[in-house]
Amino acid sequence: MEITDRTFEREVLQADIPVFVDFWASWCLPCKAIEGILGELEKEFNSQVKVCKMNVDRNRFTAHKYDIFGLPTYIIFKNGSPIFRDMAAKSKKEFKDIIEKYCL
Amino acid sequence: MKSHNAHKTCWNCPAAIFKGNVDFRACGQSMEDIKSIEEGQIVIECARRPELGHFEPSITFEQCPEWIPFPYGLMLKDMRVMILGIDGYLGWTLALKLGNLGFRVSGIDNFLRRDCVMEKGAHTIVPIERMTERLHAAREVLGININFRRIDLKDRNQLKEFMEEVKPESIVHYAEIPSAPYSMVDCTHAIRTQENNVLGTLGLLFLIKDVVPESCLIKLGTMGEYGSPLTGRPLFEGIFPSDAVMHWEGREWSLGGEITPRDPVSFYHVSKVQDTFNVYEACKYWWLRSYDIMQGVIYGVHTDEVSRDPRLRTRLDIDEWFGTVVNRFVAQAIQDMPLTVYGGGEQIRGFIALEDAMECMCRLIVSPPEPGQYDVVNQVSGLHKISVLAETVARVAETYGLDIRIQRLENPRVEADRHPFEVVSTKLPHTLGFTPRVSLETEISRMFELLIKSEIKKRIEEKIHLILPKTRWDGFKRESDILEIYEHGIKKDTGFKPILDT
Repeated sequence: MEITDRTFEREVLQADIPVFVDFWASWCLPCKAIEGILGELEKEFNSQVKVCKMNVDRNRFTAHKYDIFGLPTYIIFKNGSPIFRDMAAKSKKEFKDIIEKYCL
Repeated sequence: MKSHNAHKTCWNCPAAIFKGNVDFRACGQSMEDIKSIEEGQIVIECARRPELGHFEPSITFEQCPEWIPFPYGLMLKDMRVMILGIDGYLGWTLALKLGNLGFRVSGIDNFLRRDCVMEKGAHTIVPIERMTERLHAAREVLGININFRRIDLKDRNQLKEFMEEVKPESIVHYAEIPSAPYSMVDCTHAIRTQENNVLGTLGLLFLIKDVVPESCLIKLGTMGEYGSPLTGRPLFEGIFPSDAVMHWEGREWSLGGEITPRDPVSFYHVSKVQDTFNVYEACKYWWLRSYDIMQGVIYGVHTDEVSRDPRLRTRLDIDEWFGTVVNRFVAQAIQDMPLTVYGGGEQIRGFIALEDAMECMCRLIVSPPEPGQYDVVNQVSGLHKISVLAETVARVAETYGLDIRIQRLENPRVEADRHPFEVVSTKLPHTLGFTPRVSLETEISRMFELLIKSEIKKRIEEKIHLILPKTRWDGFKRESDILEIYEHGIKKDTGFKPILDT
C-alpha cells in the first residue's frame, strides 16, 4: 500500500497491527529492485503485518521526521512507535526473517 | 481489459509542470526543515489544462480527458514526439507509424548514416528517397506532416532552438552510429563513433534538463552492452534483482538495484555502455526520466506504413559494417551466396522484428517513467543461435526455390563463439502489455518477397563484394579464411540452448 504524509498517522501510527514502512524514491534503483518482493510479502503476511511504501520526495515531512538518510530505508512500527530500522536492498528471505522476528 | 498505462498518474505525465516545493534531494541532502505536511507537498500545473490551477499530482491517465485510447493503450492527445535520427532504418519507420497513430512527429538528422554507408562504398539495397521526397510522400500517402530539420545532434545551439520551438513530450534517441565493425575499422572510426554517440548523448541530456525536463528520453542501447557471460548468469533488465546475493568469505550481500556488469564487445558497444551511465546519472541528478532500451538485433522490412508506397520504404543495409545478420543472410540467399557465419557460429543473440520493435516503442512512449526514474527494458522477442538462424533462412529460401549452403568463416571479431545465453525480459509482456506478433519465418518471408524483386536484386548484386568481412578486431585488414562450407539441414543443433525468461 502506498502511503503519504496525510495518511501516515492513520495507516501507520494508529494501526492495530505492526507496520513495515519502506521509504523509497523514483531514482533509487535498489528501491525498484525490492518493490516486487515487498509486494509479495504484503500478500503473504496479509492480516498479520501491514507492508507500506512511502515516497520520500513527495512526503518530505515524514521523511524528515524519521531522519531518512539513505534509500531504501525501512522502519517497523508497533503501536505507533518505531521498533526496528535498517536500510539497503535485501533478499526476500532476509526481509521475511526481519518481519517474522519483529512483527509476529 | 485495462490498458497497461491506465494506472499511471500526473507523476508520469509530460504535461505536468512542477510548480512548487520541489526538492528531489529530499533524502539526506536537503537540510531544509519541513514544518508542516503542506510545506512538503509538491504541486504541479497541467500544461494542457491550466484551468486546474496548482494541484497535487494524482490524476490517473484513465481519469484524464487528455489521455485517449489507441491500439497500444492510452495516448496523450496529439502527443509531441521528437525523433533524433529520423532518416535512419528505425527512425523513419517509427516516424510514419507514430504519425499514422495521431502523434505529432518532429525529427532531426544530419544524414550521417547515409554518409557512413557511402564512405564505405556501400548502399541501401532497398532504395530510399531524399528527405524532401520522403516528407512529401508521407503527406501525400498517409496524410502526415513531419516537422523535419537538418541538424547534427552535436550542434547544441540549433537543437536547443528546435526543441524550444517544438517542446517535445517524448524524445526518441536513434541518432547514434549503430555499427560495431564500423567502430573497429581504425582509430578515426572508433573516435568518430564514440564522439558522436557519447558526447552527442551527453549534450542532449543537458539540453533536456534545460528545455524539456518533463519529457521522457527513450534511448536506444543494445543487448550487446551485457556481453555473454560464460557462467550463464542471466542477463537481467539493467539491474540485479534483490534475490541476487553475493557470497564472499562467509558473508553475503544483496546486489539488488546495482547495475549489472557490462561487457561490451567493440568500441561501438563501449559507447553504448558509456551512454547508459550518463543517462542514469542525469536522471538521478536532475530528475529526468528515461527508458534505456537494450534492443536485440533488429531485422526485417515491414510495417504497414513503410509498405504502403515505394517512396515510404525504410533503408536496408547488407554490407559488413551496417548489415545486421538476418538482413545479410536473406541478401546472400537471394544472390546464391553461402550464408556466412563467423567462427563456430554458436553465438546466441536476442532478436526482434522491425514491426514488433516499433510496437514496443509506441508502448514505451505512452508509458513514461516517473521523474528521476532510469528504467531499462530488454527489448527482444526471441533468442537465436546464429548457425540455427542460417538454417531458418535457408528453409524459407527453399520455398522460393533457392538451394542454400552455409559457410563458416574464421571469426573477424574477438568474441566467444560458443556460450550459454539466458535473457530476462519481463517488463514488455508484464508491464507494457506487449506480445510479439511477428514470427521469424514470417518476417524472413516478407524480406524475400521484397528483396527478390528485380530492381532490388540488382542492387544486392552491385554490392555483393561488400558482404564478406575484412574489418578485423585485431586491427589487420584481410579477408577471413573459409573454415567449412556445408549444405543446410545436415547439422544437428548441439551445444547451449538459449533461455528467454518472460
